[in-house]
Amino acid sequence: MMRRWIYPILAGGIVALGAYQATLLATPYALMSAAMTKIGAQAPANRFAFSPMATVDNQPIVRPSPDLSYSTCVFDLTKGPVLLDVAPVPGRYWSVSIFDARTDVAAVRSDRDTRGGPARLALMRQGQKAPSGYEPVLLGYDRGLALIRILLANPSEFPVVDAIRRKSTCKQRPATN
Amino acid sequence: MKAWHRYAITIALALVGGTAFAVHQVRGGLSDGRVSNGPWETGKSFGTVDASSLTRAKVALSGLLALPAKEAMYFTATRDSDGRALDGRCTYDVRGGKLDGRWWSVTLYEGEGWLVKNAANRWSVPASAVTADAQGRWAFTVSPEMQAGIWLPTGSAKAFDLTLRLYHPSSDVIGHPEKAKLPVIERKGCA
Repeated sequence: MMRRWIYPILAGGIVALGAYQATLLATPYALMSAAMTKIGAQAPANRFAFSPMATVDNQPIVRPSPDLSYSTCVFDLTKGPVLLDVAPVPGRYWSVSIFDARTDVAAVRSDRDTRGGPARLALMRQGQKAPSGYEPVLLGYDRGLALIRILLANPSEFPVVDAIRRKSTCKQRPATN
Repeated sequence: MKAWHRYAITIALALVGGTAFAVHQVRGGLSDGRVSNGPWETGKSFGTVDASSLTRAKVALSGLLALPAKEAMYFTATRDSDGRALDGRCTYDVRGGKLDGRWWSVTLYEGEGWLVKNAANRWSVPASAVTADAQGRWAFTVSPEMQAGIWLPTGSAKAFDLTLRLYHPSSDVIGHPEKAKLPVIERKGCA
């Protein structure tokens, strides 16, 4: 009687392992896709959305920091590289980070890296070319998210920081002839 | 019972069981406990291709868009320094000294990582908010009731966690987060 269950139970064990791994592997893609959909509603693809400070009533992503101003660009590389020009904000921590569709960080550049200058990044797939003056960032997926963080010592600084961050751009590389 | 019935039963149970176990593990919190330091837990591979599939899934659920360690480290406490679960009805002293990084903040979250509604509209204590003494020591209070000094409200949360962000941590902290000097969380009493 029990011998009839040996192979079905073995098969079940293999399927359970597969379901476990498949769930773990799918989770980052699913959550990132949901985040890009939610954030993408604030601005079209390849354009920065400049969010207000995180509060209990404004939490576009999980575990937001109320001390950082967030600007996000959902990028799409299917039509070519996407260029990021990030305006520096003097005298404080700021960074731009590039997340791929699996949630891995492809690049981070902060004021420490740029020594106070702007960050100029070309997000691209293998085989695409970065224009001169831009640091190439190779991605394994067409879609992802660029995120600018800027530290505020207190909320009253927001108007000044907001004006500076709005100089940052995220745009499809113009077609060349 | 026919053979295909037995296969159908075990495979159906396996699909549900394997998926449910994965979800259970992923919902276990931001850190998978690989590195502990007092009440704080962190990982070394957040946001990197080196992260395990479990760590990546956990971070996606509880800390999406987390930065890698060279840029920022995230220490999360779900317990006080005596090992008791953080309780929103209790009052805690959080005390620390100079942290080995460029900037830090401690933020209070509930659930998978959401800011908590509270009357003061305050959700974090950044480094700029505390006053350090001559030895660099500082403190603030976590409590449901308004406190003298720097108060981080627990609001309506029954259970909560604290996330310590350390931006541009030193190479010592990145290499050995288990040895970093981090704040203590001391429970003073409960309502």
